[in-house]
Amino acid sequence: MSIQSTLPSGQIVFDPRGSVTAATVTLAPRVGSLDGVRLGVLDNSKWNASRLLRRAVALLESDVAPSAINRYTKDSFSRVAPADLLDRIAAENDVVITAIGD
Amino acid sequence: MKQDHERDTAAGAAPSDPVDLVEWYFEQGWTDGLPVVPPTPDSVAAMVAALGGDADRLEARVPPRWGNLTREVLAINMVMAGCKPAYAPVVHAAILALCSSHFNLHGIQATTHMAAPLLVVNGPVRGEIGMNAGANVFGSGNRANATIGRAIRLILLNVGGAWPGDLDKSTLGHPGKYTFCIAENEEASPWAPYHVEQGYRPEDSAVFCIATEGPHSVTNHVADDPQGVLDSLVSAMSTIAHNNAVSSGSCAVVIGPEHATTIAGRGWTRGDVRRYLWAHTTNTFDDISFGGRYGKIYNRNLPKWYRREPGARIPIVPSPDDIHLFVAGGEAGRFSAFLPGWGHMTSPVLRAIDGSAPAGGERCVDGTCEL
Repeated sequence: MSIQSTLPSGQIVFDPRGSVTAATVTLAPRVGSLDGVRLGVLDNSKWNASRLLRRAVALLESDVAPSAINRYTKDSFSRVAPADLLDRIAAENDVVITAIGD
Repeated sequence: MKQDHERDTAAGAAPSDPVDLVEWYFEQGWTDGLPVVPPTPDSVAAMVAALGGDADRLEARVPPRWGNLTREVLAINMVMAGCKPAYAPVVHAAILALCSSHFNLHGIQATTHMAAPLLVVNGPVRGEIGMNAGANVFGSGNRANATIGRAIRLILLNVGGAWPGDLDKSTLGHPGKYTFCIAENEEASPWAPYHVEQGYRPEDSAVFCIATEGPHSVTNHVADDPQGVLDSLVSAMSTIAHNNAVSSGSCAVVIGPEHATTIAGRGWTRGDVRRYLWAHTTNTFDDISFGGRYGKIYNRNLPKWYRREPGARIPIVPSPDDIHLFVAGGEAGRFSAFLPGWGHMTSPVLRAIDGSAPAGGERCVDGTCEL
């Protein structure tokens, strides 16, 4: 509905939500195999996330033998990662894993 | 829908009976759980005019839904909250401050913690619009306090999409998520107003925003000196249970006028109070690390320079400047309050009602200052 509309009764009502401007973003191509990939590990700095990541990386190291493991840490688990950090991760890795954990 | 109505009328169909618009807004899911004031074209137009006109002007995008907050959308939510047009400058300044990047509204809206944005208003605008800075300041009974805070909450819900359980993941929430807006009692305060401490002039008006829990009452009916009053505050603040203990950041303290008079009567300044509270409000490292019961704990969310060893005293915030101190409340009663903050993930912000920056406000961007 538009921001102002009229009910069948003739009464005027307003939509308080505001529009959302969104762009369609396509997913990056999937890697066919994890063997030998450059693996990025983004630690969001929350208490239990690093535990989960350590275990996940240990399993990946034994299962798929990444050619490199690159580790990154967010300054704050709640703030969005800086754009330059995201660009670095994208440039230096084939896949990236992250985790949250309270 | 307007076209449908015209088509019905043109076809000879009689308009349906009027609906209860309060119920209609409930059915759309566009309220905070309380009845809203149904906006009319006239009331929205008056509010837009009070905001400076130009209804389609985009003021902010409100996370995490990132809804576009135009002046018209802002006006609609203000009308629904019950605001008078005279409140427009305060709501406008507050929402711009909340949407500045320093504040990290995205995180505050979505967190499992209970924090909600508290607004504290300073300057002549308090009197001009009849805000309450006195008795029951955090409570009910004043239209300006109640509806300014409620307008902000409706915007956070409707435009920001912070619907409980959906984008708002707060485990418990708190009552300040209906409305959470006070004014400093500058008239009863022995010290310069908060915004003057931050570099503004007394004749400026400003709104301060910080994400906090609800207020924790601090009772002290016996102390006749600063140390005694403040040691009760220190007791309330020194606990491992709040987010400051594990995530540092900032917090708020509200000194009741009687306590403030006692403290200032011995010559203590506002800065002295903040420094005393900071120096003595600590937990031991043993307590915040649970004595090693759950393994070795470092906690990267606390400053690097804290000593992480048995017996070390750990402040709840990194510096006295991270304790934001106000005088508010009624003139009778020996009470103050502590409001724990959310953590280092947010920075409190201060914005002048007219968007001006204070002298030397190097951390101010577009009129909002990171504190």
